[in-house]
Amino acid sequence: MNQKHILKRPLDHTVSRRSFLKWNAVIGGTAVLAGMGLKMGRLVTLAAPSAPPTATEGQWVTAACWHNCGGRCLLKAYVVDGVVQRLKTDDTHPDSPDFPQQRACQRGRANRMQVLGPDRLKYPMKRAHWTPGGGDKSLRGRDTWLRISWDEALNLVAGEIKRIKESYGNGAILGEVNAGMERTLALYGGYATSWGSTSWGTWPDVGPAMAGPYGDSYSNTGNDRLRLRQSKLIIVWGANPAWTSGGNPAYNYLQAKKAGAKFIFIDPFYNESAQVLADEWIPIRPATDIALLLGMAYVMITEDSKTNPLIDWDFLNRCTVGFDKDHMPAGADPKANFRDYVLGTYDGKPKDPRWASEICGVLPEKIHELAIEYATTHPTTIINGGTTTRVHRAEDTAQAFMTLACMAGNIGLPGAGVGLSVHNRGGNAGPSLVTSGGTGVQALKNNIDIRLNQNELWDAVLSGHYTAGKGDSRKVDIRMVYYDARSTLNQKPGATKGIRAHREKLEFVVAQAYALTTQAKFADIILPVTTPWEKEGGFLTGNREILIFYSKVTEPLFEARDDLWIAKEIGKRLGVDVAQIDPISDKQKIFNQLMGAKVMKPDGSGMETLVTITDSDIKEWGVQGKPQPGRISVADFKARGVYQVERKPGDRLGFTEFEKFRQDPAAAPRETPSKKIEIHCKTLADKITAYGWTVKSPLPVYQRIEEGYEDTFYDWDNKVKGDYPLQMYTIHYRRRAHSNFDNVSWLREAFHQPVIMNPTDAEARGIQDGEVVKVSSRHGTVLRPVYLTNRMMPGVVTLGEGAWIELDEATGYDTAGNTNILNGGIPTGQGHAGWNSCNVEVEKYYGTQLADHKWPQRIL
Amino acid sequence: MNVREWALVAFTILAQMSVGAFVVLGLVHAWAMQRYSPDKADQLSDRALLAIGPTLALGLLASLFHLGNPLFAYRAVFNLASSWLSREIALGSTFALLGALFAFLQWRKIGSFELRNVVALLAATVGLVLVYAMARVYMLPTQPAWNTWATPVSFFVTTFLLGTLAIGAAFVATYWWEWRGGRLQGSALAEMLRPVLRTLALAGIVLLGLEFVVAPLSVALMATGGAAASVGILTSQYGVMFALRLALVFLGAGVFGLWLYRTALRPGAETLLGRLAWTAFALVFVSEVLGRFLFYATHVKIGL
Amino acid sequence: MSRQLAFHVNAAVCTGCKACQVACKDKNNLEVGRLFRRVYDVDGGGWVERNGFMEPNVFAYSLSISCMHCQSPLCLEVCPTGATFKRADGIVMVNKDVCIGCRYCEWACPYGARQFNEATGQSSKCDFCADLLDKGEQPACVATCPQRALEIGELSELQAKYGATSQVYPLPEADLTQPSIVITPHPAMLLANANTARVAKPGEV
Ligand SMILES: Nc1nc2c(c(=O)[nH]1)N[C@H]1C(S)=C(S)[C@@H](COP(=O)(O)OP(=O)(O)OC[C@H]3O[C@@H](n4cnc5c(=O)[nH]c(N)nc54)[C@H](O)[C@@H]3O)O[C@H]1N2
Ligand SMILES: Nc1nc2c(c(=O)[nH]1)N[C@H]1C(S)=C(S)[C@@H](COP(=O)(O)OP(=O)(O)OC[C@H]3O[C@@H](n4cnc5c(=O)[nH]c(N)nc54)[C@H](O)[C@@H]3O)O[C@H]1N2
Ligand code: SF4
Ligand code: SF4
Ligand code: SF4
Ligand code: SF4
Ligand code: SF4
Ligand SMILES: [Mo]
Repeated sequence: MNQKHILKRPLDHTVSRRSFLKWNAVIGGTAVLAGMGLKMGRLVTLAAPSAPPTATEGQWVTAACWHNCGGRCLLKAYVVDGVVQRLKTDDTHPDSPDFPQQRACQRGRANRMQVLGPDRLKYPMKRAHWTPGGGDKSLRGRDTWLRISWDEALNLVAGEIKRIKESYGNGAILGEVNAGMERTLALYGGYATSWGSTSWGTWPDVGPAMAGPYGDSYSNTGNDRLRLRQSKLIIVWGANPAWTSGGNPAYNYLQAKKAGAKFIFIDPFYNESAQVLADEWIPIRPATDIALLLGMAYVMITEDSKTNPLIDWDFLNRCTVGFDKDHMPAGADPKANFRDYVLGTYDGKPKDPRWASEICGVLPEKIHELAIEYATTHPTTIINGGTTTRVHRAEDTAQAFMTLACMAGNIGLPGAGVGLSVHNRGGNAGPSLVTSGGTGVQALKNNIDIRLNQNELWDAVLSGHYTAGKGDSRKVDIRMVYYDARSTLNQKPGATKGIRAHREKLEFVVAQAYALTTQAKFADIILPVTTPWEKEGGFLTGNREILIFYSKVTEPLFEARDDLWIAKEIGKRLGVDVAQIDPISDKQKIFNQLMGAKVMKPDGSGMETLVTITDSDIKEWGVQGKPQPGRISVADFKARGVYQVERKPGDRLGFTEFEKFRQDPAAAPRETPSKKIEIHCKTLADKITAYGWTVKSPLPVYQRIEEGYEDTFYDWDNKVKGDYPLQMYTIHYRRRAHSNFDNVSWLREAFHQPVIMNPTDAEARGIQDGEVVKVSSRHGTVLRPVYLTNRMMPGVVTLGEGAWIELDEATGYDTAGNTNILNGGIPTGQGHAGWNSCNVEVEKYYGTQLADHKWPQRIL
Repeated sequence: MNVREWALVAFTILAQMSVGAFVVLGLVHAWAMQRYSPDKADQLSDRALLAIGPTLALGLLASLFHLGNPLFAYRAVFNLASSWLSREIALGSTFALLGALFAFLQWRKIGSFELRNVVALLAATVGLVLVYAMARVYMLPTQPAWNTWATPVSFFVTTFLLGTLAIGAAFVATYWWEWRGGRLQGSALAEMLRPVLRTLALAGIVLLGLEFVVAPLSVALMATGGAAASVGILTSQYGVMFALRLALVFLGAGVFGLWLYRTALRPGAETLLGRLAWTAFALVFVSEVLGRFLFYATHVKIGL
Repeated sequence: MSRQLAFHVNAAVCTGCKACQVACKDKNNLEVGRLFRRVYDVDGGGWVERNGFMEPNVFAYSLSISCMHCQSPLCLEVCPTGATFKRADGIVMVNKDVCIGCRYCEWACPYGARQFNEATGQSSKCDFCADLLDKGEQPACVATCPQRALEIGELSELQAKYGATSQVYPLPEADLTQPSIVITPHPAMLLANANTARVAKPGEV
């Protein structure tokens, strides 16, 4: 199944020019575009005629940009005779800051190369040295592949699932699944799963424990984008909307800046959002934000006075418990209050700016200045990425953010707020103004309750033990992994061990994938799946103001099949009730979502029906349904591809978190024991302690953390550096949405995935800008080119997460720079991933490496 | 450097050498005519003349390799109005045509002597303008390393240096040919060759002197004319090559030239004379190729 | 007065996302290595010590450029075939029926706008998405910029609106070719230490 065979196919076809064109555009054309050279040059001139096709020939189809990237943007594909010629983005209405188009980002724009790239998986594949039971496991990730038929592939997969269930039980099957196989496996008796907080760090437990449920997953806090324009000060604290909130957020922040907000960035890196927004940049060591927060609290506490109020006593009194000994929740030790902890009343250690600065690296005077500015500027919004809490034991950090906002009273006021404001809700919080209905498909219950924390996952596979709670270590015996839409090996900490688990323990690994991703590369059987461009259609949302309705862009490529088709075919072979796997037709699912779509009434009083449905729609679609009046017809919605709620400053659709609670805590109580926001939070302490890894104080306190700043020292007191003297954290890189798009040559060309480092650190190591360096942690080693810049603070390096692991088998180094090779799986707190607390050493590397876009593509 | 730029090295060197050879040959011919007779002069130069044509043709052929679409090379003359490249191509072709015409007339002895002279003069003039045009091609405001008077001066030095030594080498070849064939006895060739060679050797030495003034000066010009980066490349990456080029041209035109000059009138020593002339030419040729390579390799464009 | 279309680039709001660059690649089917629009990331400045702590004094900005459709296009002047021509609206275009791929325009253009097409052996470059303009649409790069940092218009009108800056680091002297571009400078371009600016990650452009 070499590449020659595949590329030859269009040449061999003696078919009509039309279908010849089609094939070339799909394979030949894109192959050349991807840099495969002159050999196919003639094909691409055929496939992409110099004269643009006339408008009557083609059709614009709304194409999904379906990735977990933080954006939801409109992409339209120009399809001529079944071939996608090019893309465009939102032009459904004139663009304005208040009513902006949903413009696609660089990744969206490169989507054609992802879906129609030469490295699409074309046929089911089997690893050459695999046989049922495992074969030569050590060759996983480096074996050759054999093309097999779908029938053989499905039989093999079903056979192995059956064998493993029968020999070891359902608990031996690890299901990294959510695209359909979760239903088949549930029906077949269940499967072990993995869990952990990834995106939001420690906020998911901290937020609801302190303040009762709010937002959605805490990714939805603060203000909507128009109210954000009322902020006087916006502190972007460990966030980089220009990279991680695709689409409009960075543009929305610009509007706040135009409206007069001052922007302070607190970040180890002067990032691209700071580049256009920052009035000030305060560099901070990663994973030490808790120290800065406590130092600021110290200033506010010690300098607050009647004449110079720095603390919003009214808010603390009315809306919180736990700040000082006079406001403790029922049953708590009065000594265990936040104020006395900060002052060091009982432990003799005041958390003053001098103390804080030794840890976080911010000048004490600057801590002082920042504290005063935050305490006296209202409204101020703190915009958090997940970063400050994707740190070991960072429950304290999230808790301290909330506490500080309560002290300053910068919460619950239009233009004020604190917490996660990132991903698709970055800078635009509030409930969705337009939603799709449900598909009508009910979830199935998984009867196996083996849940492996992602930090321990590969350890558990290798050792046979996992933590199920405090003092609750259990046995587990994982024999196979099924990957559908998850990239666990690539995306979760401890990948070095993950590779070992694949090469030593697992008997069977299967992956459904579009390209040879890491999980596919390390699998035994690969099943090629269709992308959303090849599916019937669907909906995408995230941004509260829009709902995207995408349609099928192209027929399935080669032998790619839908995930659900695979789930059913395997279900058939396992003898489960296949009707339950996919009980509703694709068309009906879409129609159900259309019928159930809702949109906010202009006065903000509630939702109303979005889509007008007529008898003829129902007939045309061949589905069940009832006519209904709405705002937009099915045909219009499909043609536009998006419904966007039109906003205006001062409209009734604005949002501020905790606004009602602040106005009247009794009328809008929080769902906590005290009905208030709990600075002293026993619920949180108990919950975190119960996970079994760390013991949490009810207060936000400073703890020395695993692989934090202190751990870069061999001898902290005398400041002697250790073997891993640099701090590393991992960012969400522009080239990709996690692992997605990493293979796309246009994006590789644009972004070279460098390690970012300060020149002084490089100089000390004899490293020059642009050279390849070796980055090692306690857990693994990667090679990458280095970008030396004063934009990065000294002592710290960063690297983008998501690169597709590419092992140099001779050395064991990952040449792609996958950060989970460097991040160990270290479970703490709520079992979240501590990606931004990691220690490394960087050394000169005496070999060379081609830039990524010059690497051969993974073409099977 | 890639194939395309090597093509340019070949084209410019060969074309300039042909122009130089043509002009030098003309001068020698004129001299021989005065001193001896038209017949004898023709004897001396006819064979050498025939070698110029293929050289130029080779150069023009090489230039095609520089094009993405060589088949349509003729379109390169469409923009005489503003493009020095167009003018270069046009002049190059005209020179080739006139040169060929002259060679043909001369060979078949068609037309009057005066007419042939006019054609030759015309060809030589076009050739010299061609060398100027070639230089202008590179004198772009965005190419500071090229955009100095050193470019035309060095192109002309190349033209005459290579032309002189090539003609010297050609004469020696002709001489050998006749000598081997035993036709030398009583031939005017024997009589003329030695003084001509001596003069050519002298001219070479003078041109060498010019080259040694121009080469460092052009580097200085680069440095002051905003092409500091080019100087950097020249002195670091290509320092050795630059030194080698100077050494070779010194050895060729200087040492061997002097030797040639001193040996030229010595009776006998035909073999030595031949070797000297040929070595001098070969050394200078290699040096000029290196020089031209450096010309392309060190250019640094202004801007992005 | 003759017409001259131009780009306005607002460097103050550009995040260097390269959506414009990729949109252009999609529009023009450009293989790796050929970029009609490129985005330069620039950084500079350094750190100073204060009370034993290092304080930053750094800056960064990005600049997205394509062919400048110059008013005195050197590429056009030198093009031997006349393949390079200027439309009535000022767009500098390459006639594919004429270009012989001599690459002379590449030497002449100070903006690196010329991108050799190995497959056709011809010069290629940004054509202002003339086909889209002729249909009344915006160029692909402009229509996609998430920061709305790109705009097109009549040069004189853009200058009246945004000033006449056409040369900022790392662009060459504007008087070489008189580029049809209007730049809203990034504040860092005006800083005292702006002279420490350099193109960052040069391999990416
Ligand atoms: N391009 C792209 N965008 C994405 C994604 C992607 O993969 N690619 N993924 C999406 C998803 S699922 C998520 S969860 C979000 C994540 O989005 P974020 O959590 O915002 O992401 P990061 O890029 O990791 O970091 C943002 C900024 O935090 C800084 N930072 C890192 N560690 C620390 C720290 O300890 N303290 C402080 N003060 N600053 C720190 C970094 O320098 C960076 O500038 O992004 C979403 N958007
Ligand atoms: N070191 C480090 N690692 C990180 C992070 C970090 O900051 N540092 N960030 C983390 C964060 S915030 C997150 S959210 C995770 C994301 O982790 P994952 O969700 O595992 O990441 P993705 O790369 O999006 O993986 C999705 C995979 O499913 C495939 N896929 C998508 N749709 C479908 C489909 O319909 N069918 C099938 N069969 N496949 C499909 C994609 O091609 C891709 O291979 O990564 C985390 N990993
Ligand atoms: S932000 Fe995300 S959804 Fe939007 S275009 Fe980019 S990749 Fe697609
Ligand atoms: S799309 Fe806009 S913001 Fe992004 S790099 Fe281009 S000009 Fe800058
Ligand atoms: S930018 Fe370059 S290619 Fe474009 S018109 Fe100006 S000189 Fe010509
Ligand atoms: S490559 Fe084409 S456009 Fe450029 S100068 Fe030569 S003929 Fe003109
Ligand atoms: S105008 Fe068109 S061709 Fe020019 S840079 Fe923009 S997208 Fe590319
Ligand atoms: Mo995430």
